[in-house]
Amino acid sequence: MTAAIGPKRSLIARATDDRIVAGVALALAATAAALLAGGLSGYRVNTIGQFACFALLALALDLIWGYAGILSLGHGLFFAIGGYVVGMHLLEQSVAVTGITPDIVQFMGWTALPGWWAPLESFPVALAAALASSFAVAFAFGWASFRSRVSGVYFAIITQALVYVAMLLMFRNDTGFGGNNGMTGFQVVFGLPIQDPAVTKGLALASVLALLAALVGCRLLMIGRFGRLLVATRDDEVRLRSLGYETLRLKLAVWCLSAVLAALAGLLYVPQVGIINPRLLSPELSIEIAVWCAIGGRGRLAGAIIGAVLVNAIKFALSASLPELWPFVLSGLVIVVALIFPNGLLDLGRWRPTLWSRADALQPTDATP
Amino acid sequence: MQWRGAVAGLFALLAACGPAAAFDRAAIAGWSCAGASGMTEAANALIFGVASASKEDAAWAAALAGAALDRTLKCGGAAPAIETPQGPVDAVTLQPGAAGDGSAPLLSLKNRPLFETARAAATLFVGATPGERSAALGALERRAASLPTDIFERAADAETDAGLKERILGAGQAALLNSPDMTKRVAAIERIAATPDRRALTRIAALKADPAYGKDPAFKAAVDAGVGSIERWLAVSNALNALYNGLSFASILFMASAGLAIIFGLMGVINLAQGEFIMLGAYVTYAVQEAMRAIAPGALDWYLIVAIPVVFAVTAGIGVALEATLVRRLYTRPLMTLLATWAVSLLIVNLVRVAVGTQNLQFVTPSYITGGRLVMGDFIVTWNRLFAIVFAAVTLGLTWFVLKRTPLGLNIRAVTQNRAMAGCVGIATRRVDMMAFGLGSGLAGLAGLALCPIYSVNPQMGSNFIVDSFMVVVLGGVGTLAGAVIASLGVGQINVLIEPLYGAVAAKVIVLLMIIVFLQFRPEGLYAVKGRRK
Repeated sequence: MTAAIGPKRSLIARATDDRIVAGVALALAATAAALLAGGLSGYRVNTIGQFACFALLALALDLIWGYAGILSLGHGLFFAIGGYVVGMHLLEQSVAVTGITPDIVQFMGWTALPGWWAPLESFPVALAAALASSFAVAFAFGWASFRSRVSGVYFAIITQALVYVAMLLMFRNDTGFGGNNGMTGFQVVFGLPIQDPAVTKGLALASVLALLAALVGCRLLMIGRFGRLLVATRDDEVRLRSLGYETLRLKLAVWCLSAVLAALAGLLYVPQVGIINPRLLSPELSIEIAVWCAIGGRGRLAGAIIGAVLVNAIKFALSASLPELWPFVLSGLVIVVALIFPNGLLDLGRWRPTLWSRADALQPTDATP
Repeated sequence: MQWRGAVAGLFALLAACGPAAAFDRAAIAGWSCAGASGMTEAANALIFGVASASKEDAAWAAALAGAALDRTLKCGGAAPAIETPQGPVDAVTLQPGAAGDGSAPLLSLKNRPLFETARAAATLFVGATPGERSAALGALERRAASLPTDIFERAADAETDAGLKERILGAGQAALLNSPDMTKRVAAIERIAATPDRRALTRIAALKADPAYGKDPAFKAAVDAGVGSIERWLAVSNALNALYNGLSFASILFMASAGLAIIFGLMGVINLAQGEFIMLGAYVTYAVQEAMRAIAPGALDWYLIVAIPVVFAVTAGIGVALEATLVRRLYTRPLMTLLATWAVSLLIVNLVRVAVGTQNLQFVTPSYITGGRLVMGDFIVTWNRLFAIVFAAVTLGLTWFVLKRTPLGLNIRAVTQNRAMAGCVGIATRRVDMMAFGLGSGLAGLAGLALCPIYSVNPQMGSNFIVDSFMVVVLGGVGTLAGAVIASLGVGQINVLIEPLYGAVAAKVIVLLMIIVFLQFRPEGLYAVKGRRK
């Protein structure tokens, strides 16, 4: 991130300045190619697709935490909004194609799916609805919070309360989204049966490409004027405001962008796991997203992706063999990263073994990228 | 033999209904050994005679009925005898010296309730403690209709305990409800409506099905007025119940969030493991209980009191250790502290889960917080919730004292207001942080102790309180006790007030929305400390 002094460099040159970002982008392109070439088992393909969704979610959080210094402990909310909308879409489509009444109709005591779900049968409508509703929620909450200059730890715990309340709300049957059971029993995706290997592959490919597009798009955005203003907001908001910039608009814009990306991740995730229920809204999952970013490293986009893939790889491996060990490993990872690698694994290169440095020595701050 | 007993019983019955008849002890004891129909006579004689019997006779009636029920009445010897721990006694005189052999007479299904009623009626007069008499009254109330009404009147005259006297009169009125005399019935309705509870409501509302309700306008008016007045009082007492439960919830919330608010004001960090300190407090209480059970079983009742210093010391110690090893190293990165303390909470929950298990812990409820006092209608002041409220009030007082009247409190306030300047004048700010962190963790541990008798205790319990504690901190502002008190009362009361109307979830949603709206006007919370913004 050297300052651009001297002759104006091309956009591509500036975008690939950060070798790690370029490397991750290449790796994503290679993964997409490998998926296209085929030869991977269905389980592997599905895992890749899920990881891509988690990485997209982490990327969304990194935009606001790494660049704008706003930590959200409630990003699962937007992930779940995307998930619930696509869940309704899949149910509508399954009914339209197969004519089988899904379980949700039975345990909710309905006779058919609610009438207002009908427009969601068309995918473009569902996509637009997911993005628009997450945008609307993010805008309303962000405007109320940023306007009253709620920030830092305050903001983090309010977002946590928000996702917790949303979870309680969705656990109720009266809320009308399947309650505790959520939505499941999807039969058809884009007119194909959901078990079809082509569907698995297509979804995984879509997730990886969405992640790649988001990475490239956000990178371009962040090396531009918008990104620099965000970093300035993070480092000294008061000064930026004194200079005449409206930081409310900046923060609101990046907050809504982040929410929409998270909803997109949820939208891609739910068809791949075949279920959406309120557990996606648990405060623990939302904190875990922040943990992926913290472990991977904030403020460079690639770190979030690396962190999400790494943590989930360990989680998947452990839940197969030693599920009770996972919480210990996770808490150990977080504590080690917090104490030794202030900026996550991206710090590995810079790390010198000064484990027991004096507590009041000069320390990095939350804002240090 | 049997028919003679039956005839004699009939005479005794007639005699007993007359005024001031004493028991024919020998006859009754005899009938008790004379088969099923004889026993019926004996029980009836006891029931109808006890109201006018002397104190000794009533005591004897209680002993005889009890012996028949407990199968310590022996009919084999020359005279009926009662087996006691001190040896057999004569069933008529209760004097020792009888031969206590033979078998106990078999109580038929029909006779058992009669003897139970007889024992209860006698106990109502001669029971040694109000508790015993109250239990006897409870048994009698169920059969009030079949009892002679003068039992309640005379028992009420003799009763010394004012509360119990009221209840006995009430039971007597209930018996009068079914009396054939209409003025007595109306008077009884008014009398019952004067003690409004759910039972009185069902009792009077049932009279709407009575034939007299349709025929007699005075009776109808009395019933309607009674139902109306009871319903009004029940609404009031329900509201009081909700307020009371809200107060106890708020007390625990206050202890959990006061520590959070102090630490946040001081260091700008939120301890996400605060909920787990509550859980640890409850587990330490459990450990103290088990230790007392092993070492001093006699004093087991006092474990809650013994646990207070232990819980505070242990949780405060863990808090100090957490501050010194983790939080201190992250003090320029409050957001990372959130994640690090979350990791600690995850670690603590899983350590407890592995070490102790996931099941709910079983606590002995000490006698001094068992039960409660019926204040009015359905409103019961239960001692376990009162314990939490008083405990929180005392904790509030002590914390206030520490913050306002001790050197540590002075330092905490100074560092909260201006950390750099406090450091410049020689306050060891890091040390103050550590002590404050310990204080906050200890308060959370005490919250865990106070909720042991009310809520269930398991490794996941912390998460039930942490989000509400956040809301209290956000609402109340940081670094002040007053803010934490008012915000806990607000959040606690709103939660329980909305709950019966729209459900627990709606209550949480409404509280959160109110807080977000509130922040538009007071972003710093109710009581903002005037200090440098961090």
